[in-house]
Amino acid sequence: MITQYFDTSIKKWRQLFVVLGLLLVVLFTLNISLGSVAIPLSSVIDFILLRPPVDNSWHLIMAQFRLPKALTATLVGGGLGICGLQMQTLFRNPMAGPFILGISSGSGLGVALIIFLGVEAGLLFELSGITRSWIMVCAAALGSFGVLLAIILASVRLKDSVTLLILGLMLGAVSSALINILQYFSQATNIQAYMMWSFGSLGSLSWNELMIFSVIMSVGMIMSMGLSKSLNALLLGANYAESMGVDLKIIRIMTIINTSLLAGTITAFCGPIAFFGLVMPHIARMLFNTTNHLLLTPLIILIGGILMLFFDTVSQLPGIEATLPINAVTALLGAPFVVYLLLRKRNIHYTFDK
Amino acid sequence: MKLIHTQSLAIGYTEGHTNKVLQEDINLSLSSGEIISLMGQNGVGKTTFIKTLSGLHKRISGSVYHQDRLIDEISKSSLAKQISIVLTEKPFAEYLSVIELIALGRHPYSNWIGRLSTSDKQAIDLSMSQTNIDYLAHKKLYQLSDGQFQKVMIARALAQETDLIILDEPTAHLDLSNKIEIMLLLKSIAGSGKGVLIATHDLQVSLQLSDRLWLFNFNQPVLDGCPEDLILQGAIDQTLFPINNNIDLTTGTVKHLDERKGNVLLQGDPTMVHWTAQALQRNGYAVNKDAPTSITINCLDCLWKLESKDTSTSFDSIENLLIHLK
Repeated sequence: MITQYFDTSIKKWRQLFVVLGLLLVVLFTLNISLGSVAIPLSSVIDFILLRPPVDNSWHLIMAQFRLPKALTATLVGGGLGICGLQMQTLFRNPMAGPFILGISSGSGLGVALIIFLGVEAGLLFELSGITRSWIMVCAAALGSFGVLLAIILASVRLKDSVTLLILGLMLGAVSSALINILQYFSQATNIQAYMMWSFGSLGSLSWNELMIFSVIMSVGMIMSMGLSKSLNALLLGANYAESMGVDLKIIRIMTIINTSLLAGTITAFCGPIAFFGLVMPHIARMLFNTTNHLLLTPLIILIGGILMLFFDTVSQLPGIEATLPINAVTALLGAPFVVYLLLRKRNIHYTFDK
Repeated sequence: MKLIHTQSLAIGYTEGHTNKVLQEDINLSLSSGEIISLMGQNGVGKTTFIKTLSGLHKRISGSVYHQDRLIDEISKSSLAKQISIVLTEKPFAEYLSVIELIALGRHPYSNWIGRLSTSDKQAIDLSMSQTNIDYLAHKKLYQLSDGQFQKVMIARALAQETDLIILDEPTAHLDLSNKIEIMLLLKSIAGSGKGVLIATHDLQVSLQLSDRLWLFNFNQPVLDGCPEDLILQGAIDQTLFPINNNIDLTTGTVKHLDERKGNVLLQGDPTMVHWTAQALQRNGYAVNKDAPTSITINCLDCLWKLESKDTSTSFDSIENLLIHLK
C-alpha cells in the first residue's frame, strides 16, 4: 500500500517537472524575444536551434546581449532560491535568506572600497553607470569570501547555529557602517556608481564571465542536491538528525560554503539581489505543498529561473530603451505575489513550529 | 544479549573549565527484549543520560558500550543503525506528511539522493502497521493529535530498524487511554526482541509495564531493580516524592490524611466500594471495618443505603450521599 503511494507520487512529481521545464523554455524564449528591440519569436527559435540568421543585427543582439542575460537570469533565480531554502532550514528561521550571514554586505564593502577609495587614491577605473569591470567583480568576490571565511572559521568553533546567525548579522552591520562612512566622505558621482551597483543587474556578463559563472552555479546546484537528504533530516531538529547519522558539523559547514559560494558569486557578478532568495523557498513550499528538500531543490532551480526570467522580461519594458533595476522589479512584483499566497493559505505554519 | 551497558559513567555539563556532574558511577545495562523505565525528578539528568547514551551529548567520564563496542569507536552512521530516539522536541516542518516523516527514519540506509529501495519501503510499511497508523499516512503533521503524533514518532524510530529505542517522556501531554496505548505499544515492541528505554514521570503505567526501573536521585547512587522490589524497599518514595505529599505506595494515588469526620463501614460490589471509598475519603471520612455507621451498596438498583444505630436512608448517587453527610 505504501509502496504504491510512493510510486504514484513519483509519477505526479515527474509530470510537474516536465511542465515546469517546458514553462522555463517558453519564458526563456520570450525573454530573448522581448526588449527595447522586439525580435520575432520565429527568429529567436531559429537562433536557439542554430539555424542561419535572417537578420544579422538581431542575431548580434541575441548572441551578445539577450542570450547571456537570459542564461544569467535563469541561473541567478535558481541559485538564490536554493540559498534561501538552505539557510532557512539550517537556521530554522523563515526570515533567513542567502544574505543572512552578511555576504552581500561583505561584497558591498569590497565594491565600496574600490569605488570610493580607488578613485580617491587616483587609480584609474572605468566606473561609469552600470558598466562593471572585472575589478568590481573581484572586489565584490573578495568582500563576500572574506565574510565567508570568517563565518566558516567561526562555524568550526561554534556549536550553535543561532550564534552563527548573530555573528553574520554583526559582520553585516559592521560592513554597512563602513560603507556608510565611505559614502559620507565621497563625491556624488562615486556614490551614484555605488548605488548603480547595489540596484543589481543581470545583463552585464560577457560570455567569458558567464562561463565561470555558470560553472560555479552548476557546482553549487549539484552540491545542493547532495545536501538535500541531510537537510531533510535536519527538519526534525539537530538531535534527531544526529541520531539518524547526520554529521552536523560537516553538514553545517558544507551548507554555509555552498550558499556563500552561490550567493557570493551572484553578488559579485550581478550585485546584491536581496529579496528573491528570501521569498523563493516560501513561494515553492506554498505552491507545491512540500518541505522535502529532495523535491524543493530542483523545483526551486526551475521556478526560480522561471520567475527571474519573468521579472527580467518585465524590467526590460518592451519597446522602451530604459531597463528598470532588477532589485526593484523583483520586490515590486514578488511581494504582492507572496502576500496573495499567504492570504490564500492564511498562515505560514506549513513550515515552522507554531 | 546486552544491547547497551555503561561502566562508571558520569554525565553532566561542562561549563568553562568546570564539570557540572549530574549523575556519576552509573553502571547499568539493558538487554534485548527488555523494557526499562528511567525515573527521577525534573533536573536530575534523565534527558542528559538519554542523550549521552545515544551519542548526542559528551559524557564526563566512564564509558558507554553498544553491544560490547565503545561508543566512540562506532561511526555516526552505524550508530544510527543501532539506536533510534524519540524526543520531546517538535519537528521544524509541520507541513511534512506522516509518511514522509517516517521515511526519514530510513536516512541511514538510503543512498545520497535519498532514494528508497524495496527494503526501505517494506520497513516503512511494517513500522506503520505495527503502530496502527496506516490511516494517518497522508495527514500533515499539524493535523495530528498529540497521541497520534507520538505514535508517528515511534513509527519513525521503528523504521530506523534499530535494536534499541530510547524515548524521552513519550507519554507526556497524553490522556490516560493514550498513555496506556503507547505503553502497550512499547511493550509489544520490546516483545518483538528490541530493547526499549523510556524516561518517564508516569508512575502507575511504568510500574505495571516495565521489566525494570532505573531511579535517578540527587546526590545519591542510581538505583536499578524490579519495580515491585523498589516499591517495597521504599526507594520510589524516596526518589520521586521527597516531600511528603501522602502518596499511597500500593496504588500510587494521593492519600487523604484528613479523615476525622467519622468512620464508615462499606459493603457491596468491589468496584462500587472502591469509588465510594475514594469519594468518602476526599470528604474526610475513613473507611473502617468496625465503624458503627455502615453504607451498603445495592448494585442492582444502584442504591446507597446509609445505616446508623436507628436511622436508615437511601441515596441514588454518590453526590446525594455526600450532600447528606455534609
